Amino acid sequence: MRDSQATYEFATKEEQLRRAFAVHVQANNREHTIQYARLLLDNFPSAKTYRYIGKVISTGEVLRLSLRPFRVALLSSFSIEFMQDALFSMGVANGFVIEFYLTGFDTFRQEIFDPNSGLYRQALDLAILAVEGEDWLPEIYCRYSPASPKLGNIKDKFKGDLTSLMTSFRGKSSLPILVHNFAQPSHYVLGIADSSNQQGQECLARQMNELLQEVCKQFSNCYVLNYDNLVSYAGQEQWYDRRMHHYAKFPLSQHAVGVLARAYMKYSRALLGLSKKCLVLDLDNTLWGGVIGEDGLEGIQLGSNYPGSAFVEFQQCILGLHSKGVILAIASKNNPQDVEEVFASHASMVLRRADFSAFEVHWNAKEESLRRIANKLNIGLDHIVFVDDNPAECEHIRLVLPMVTVIQLPTNPEQYSKALLKDGWFDTLSISEEDIRRSALYEQRAQAEALRETSNDLKGFYLDLDMTIHFSPVNAKNLSRASQLTQKTNQFNATTRRYSESDVIGRVKDPAWFLSAVSVTDRFGDNGIVGLMMAYKNEGEFYIDTFLLSCRVIGRTVETAMLAYLSREAATLGVNFIRGEIIPTPKNTPVRDLYERHGFTREIGGENDISIWRLECENAKIEFPLWIKHFDDKTNEQ
Amino acid sequence: MENNLAQSIKSVMSDILNIPEELITEDTASDNTEGWDSANHIQLVVALEQEFSISFDVKEFEALLSYADIYDMVQSKI
Repeated sequence: MRDSQATYEFATKEEQLRRAFAVHVQANNREHTIQYARLLLDNFPSAKTYRYIGKVISTGEVLRLSLRPFRVALLSSFSIEFMQDALFSMGVANGFVIEFYLTGFDTFRQEIFDPNSGLYRQALDLAILAVEGEDWLPEIYCRYSPASPKLGNIKDKFKGDLTSLMTSFRGKSSLPILVHNFAQPSHYVLGIADSSNQQGQECLARQMNELLQEVCKQFSNCYVLNYDNLVSYAGQEQWYDRRMHHYAKFPLSQHAVGVLARAYMKYSRALLGLSKKCLVLDLDNTLWGGVIGEDGLEGIQLGSNYPGSAFVEFQQCILGLHSKGVILAIASKNNPQDVEEVFASHASMVLRRADFSAFEVHWNAKEESLRRIANKLNIGLDHIVFVDDNPAECEHIRLVLPMVTVIQLPTNPEQYSKALLKDGWFDTLSISEEDIRRSALYEQRAQAEALRETSNDLKGFYLDLDMTIHFSPVNAKNLSRASQLTQKTNQFNATTRRYSESDVIGRVKDPAWFLSAVSVTDRFGDNGIVGLMMAYKNEGEFYIDTFLLSCRVIGRTVETAMLAYLSREAATLGVNFIRGEIIPTPKNTPVRDLYERHGFTREIGGENDISIWRLECENAKIEFPLWIKHFDDKTNEQ
Repeated sequence: MENNLAQSIKSVMSDILNIPEELITEDTASDNTEGWDSANHIQLVVALEQEFSISFDVKEFEALLSYADIYDMVQSKI
């Protein structure tokens, strides 16, 4: 054996990361395992790293249990199984153990059409349909001729083909499916004349992608992967390996494998509701170049010339994230008055003081700042992405708060935006109006929190809030939000059951079910739909299947109003009992005493396992809190 | 004393073919090594290309049937 101390000193960065990763796997440190897998993949993205991560994980029996199994069906026109190592390792970097369902190449049609195929016989989390243009549309991609009679009806043919495939799939399964669109052909038969020709390959390929999007849009839980954009960003030359296409029916280069696996991960995270919510930023050498405390207002780099222009660009990129609903916060070691001055008087600042929902500017440890931000905004630390240029700060946060996603900025500011955006940490499957308003809402919440600190007593705080609640039936207008709430709410969620839009529709249509979306307005503004109840009537009882409330209105007795409404509804329907269930998760501590607080009696279960609670409606009436105005949108009654 | 190239090649082969480095000899070949099937051959080719920053054409990598073949081919390219 070599001397271990000596080897450590001479170990390369790669060896050090590998060793740290293996140590955390053996010690069953879930968060650090995820983090080191990410560091390895970011710094040494190669097939060797993919295999290394896979091999180490296969030795960590206990650790594997703490990672979430994620089952993916890969349906493809090529030998997509060559992506397994890459996908598996990137799964680990996101907290998953990916299990694959693979079929032979080019069997995707049989798999989808055959009701007895393996695709429909097992529990899966996601299906991916990866078909190359040349395999689906050879008339455009490899046998193209401008005079070909086949081009005449190619649009109708493709649309019909894809529609029948998707209809068949949706008829048998509600599994989310991700469909690749097509990259452009790499060479055009007509050469430079192609792009000015209506029947040219470029134009046809583009039209096929439009059709593909149009068809996929009609099916629930069907998402289009913009493969065309991935390929063009990397470049055809970089993306494809024609050698392996002919030799092994696997057309992708190693670079493409890495990029594509990363793209799949964005969808996987979003499907599981793991999207991040809050971006916490450093200031010096992050939002501007230089150090405000030393260089002063005139000395920091921010403006129209490099490097100042690169910092302006980075701020614009952050503002873009904010505008789609990402909450912003600052964690910086600085004198608060210096920082306030930059926000108040620097002409080139893109971001405004009001864009930030939390502002931690002082000389205490950033660990403390991050904890305070999470508390103030009522979000988990695992919903935070922390961005800093200082390697020591990044390393410290990785060590003490391993659940925080850390982005250490690269050396040059023109690379900042890419570093922030490339993993799509904040990506969601769709953007609702709620998302867009949410960033503003969290700011209101922070103000409400400040009010609570100054209110003399709790009742006064509630009265001051001047809350109005609307209970609305779930319908086409709020369906997307209702489903999204089940996907995203972790804390005040009694059962944490996740429902897709189609799951929710199914229950809306079923007369045994009662669904109510809850929106709350207060003196700070309209919070939008923040709560959801789903219950079904069974003989003489109401069984509460889902009871959840967004964290931005926790601690305001909204849940009491919800239960009061439900019990009144129960009385109207002649129901005698209400039953509710608490399924404990690591996050839902705030909801655990919901039923106990409202006079339900425990029927089954202890503190830390699933419990069932029952309320006899006649004997225990739940009253609406006096400080909340409430409206039933179903009947327009107060 | 084994040279670095031999060591690196054995390390790549061991990783892909799942056999200990010390069992890889001049005679290790696709027809006497269980894990060396066609799918692993592709992985091996790609791994060698990445490790040594070289590339093979199809004729070249089809001819890589033993450790000795690989050693000679890689040496001629670096």
